[in-house]
Amino acid sequence: MDGDPAVMKVPRSSSVEVKEDMDTKSEKQATRDALIDISFCGSTPMLWKVSDMKKCRSEGVIGALVGSLARQPRQNVRLGRPLELRPEEALLLLEKEKSTAAVRLDTQDCEDEEAHSEAVRLYEAGLESSYQEQCVLALEDKKKTLNRVMNEKENGTEGSGSAVRERLEALDQSFSFPWSAMAVQLCTARSGFSHCPEERSFHSTDCPMPRDEHLNTRFSVYRDLRNKGYYLTSAGKFGGDFLVYPGDPLRFHAHYIALCVSLDEEMPVCDILAIARLGSNVKKTVLLCSPQEGDVVYSSLQWSSMV
Amino acid sequence: MGFSERGKQYLQPEEALYLMECGNVQVFYRDLPLSIQDGYERFLSSDTVTLHQYQVFGHLKRLGYVVNRFDPSSVSSTYERQLNLPASDKQKKQLKRKRSQSPVSSDKHGISTEEKTTSEAHNELAETSKLPADLQEPVHLADAPERTWWMEEDVQQKHPKTQTAAPRWDFSSISFPDLGSRRRSERLASPHRSLLPENVDVGECDVSRWLGRLNMKQEKLSRRDMERQRERDRYRRDVNSDREVRRCRNWAEYSELMEERRRRRRKHRPEHLWEREETPLTQPGQCTSHRELLDQIGIIKSSTFSEGLSRLSPSDQWKISFDVYQPDTVAEFKKSHPGKPYTRMCVCSFAGPVPDLHAVKQLSFQSQDVPVTFAVVDHGDISFYCFKDFKLPTDVY
Repeated sequence: MDGDPAVMKVPRSSSVEVKEDMDTKSEKQATRDALIDISFCGSTPMLWKVSDMKKCRSEGVIGALVGSLARQPRQNVRLGRPLELRPEEALLLLEKEKSTAAVRLDTQDCEDEEAHSEAVRLYEAGLESSYQEQCVLALEDKKKTLNRVMNEKENGTEGSGSAVRERLEALDQSFSFPWSAMAVQLCTARSGFSHCPEERSFHSTDCPMPRDEHLNTRFSVYRDLRNKGYYLTSAGKFGGDFLVYPGDPLRFHAHYIALCVSLDEEMPVCDILAIARLGSNVKKTVLLCSPQEGDVVYSSLQWSSMV
Repeated sequence: MGFSERGKQYLQPEEALYLMECGNVQVFYRDLPLSIQDGYERFLSSDTVTLHQYQVFGHLKRLGYVVNRFDPSSVSSTYERQLNLPASDKQKKQLKRKRSQSPVSSDKHGISTEEKTTSEAHNELAETSKLPADLQEPVHLADAPERTWWMEEDVQQKHPKTQTAAPRWDFSSISFPDLGSRRRSERLASPHRSLLPENVDVGECDVSRWLGRLNMKQEKLSRRDMERQRERDRYRRDVNSDREVRRCRNWAEYSELMEERRRRRRKHRPEHLWEREETPLTQPGQCTSHRELLDQIGIIKSSTFSEGLSRLSPSDQWKISFDVYQPDTVAEFKKSHPGKPYTRMCVCSFAGPVPDLHAVKQLSFQSQDVPVTFAVVDHGDISFYCFKDFKLPTDVY
């Protein structure tokens, strides 16, 4: 959809301005296309498109896959789309203006009857063309199978090969591919043919995610660590807020368990002891992180035995 | 999965979404198929099933478990289980469900299939084959069919009698014969006419055949048992052989004697311990086992899950979401008779509070005899926790 400026045939004098306009327009288009679409399920931000997921990963935001894997739905080892983002991750993407957040408004389904019936028509046309394609492919497939059977039979015994040959010849006339045997595709992400819900871009302060003190603390820590180049994932099983990796989580083990506390929060000694014990058992350093006037202060806990 | 009502097959929103993710079902709304993204955004909300609950549901279904929504009214109380009533079919299907093409432009899913609860079911009487059809009357108890205690030809007259719930008998006026006593008679008189149904006449009952079956022989102890008996009897004194007791002429004097004896015993006890307001909890020589001793000195009593439950009010925050049954390879599952679930799930998240004792007790009370598991969701990771009752051992062997 980008207009290619080189193709335009314009008199040379004005071509430069036009080219610049086209450039900025195509740039805007490009940046718009480079934005990641975050959609919300309730108050949880999610990514649905593979391209969005790639862009997000290249930004250093990991997220977690929570859906069934399309090819192997009945197992829990590898999960598929959607990619669920933590609120901090979504806020970071919005802040860096790398993404737009959109929420489907429940109340306003596409009321436009024209557009809706147009969409239905397009969908049915798509189904029909897919059906035709599949008919042709199915016929070829069947011919190939019969040929193979025929060849095998001729290599083996004679006589029975003739029945197969007759079937092959009659195939062109009598072959029928029932509509109900057609393969259909179930889209994971919302594609063009579906409804046209009203979408509204959100500014980061308007997000449906509830912002409370703890989220702000965690977000400052997340942003700071991310800017330092670390990758972070969730650490509920380790009793902390984040697991901090020196590189991509697929290539490294976590080095730190980050626990976000505000500077004025009181922490009982037993809690500190518990988290330090836990960290030493799993061979990770515990980081107590507190935001302080735009910067973040880190304290690390390491257990050393007294001899 | 799913349920049928009025001859049509319905799916719950979470089941429909799971089948869509597995690629088995296509859901249409206004003639267009929904994508999985649409499914997530439309089907999951705080009114129906939240995202966390759906993630737990999907996780368990992918592992093969059978997961149904929890229906609080389906749990039978301890009293009902004590009565051991026969299980009734909750939904007697009058018509067999016809396999039909799903209608093209109807909203068979999503927006309108919220909860179809198994509401007022037709509880039919147990022996329907013999009784005429117009005898199906609504039942007072939730699940139990009415038991007819006798079959009658003229049923209309028996209407008032069969309608009463449980017959209330006055056991003080009904005497049961003690056939094991020494003075027994071979014949029992016939029961009073009011206890018997009409047209039934019972004469005298000859119980000699039954008496022959009773084991009235003297117990023959082995030598070791006899020795043990003798040991015990050596130190046992018959109360009536005590001279002082025989001197008492009535109960008042006897209780005075007991009091006097107690006072004499107490004279040996140290004053500073026993004569103040606070006395020791136990005396030396009073207990014979560790458990008795620990019971006496136990100021803090240990509690179990089932104590103090009547005062608990249901809480909004902690709710049981699902019944989980084991996969088909382990146990046979039938939709009409699911049986007792393997466990019940309560979904929460790491961001929320840990369940306190009140919540745990209330949930285990609500679930009666099925254990409750907490499924904790943390951004896609699900962990399962359960709380078990534990009794500290009190006997030292």
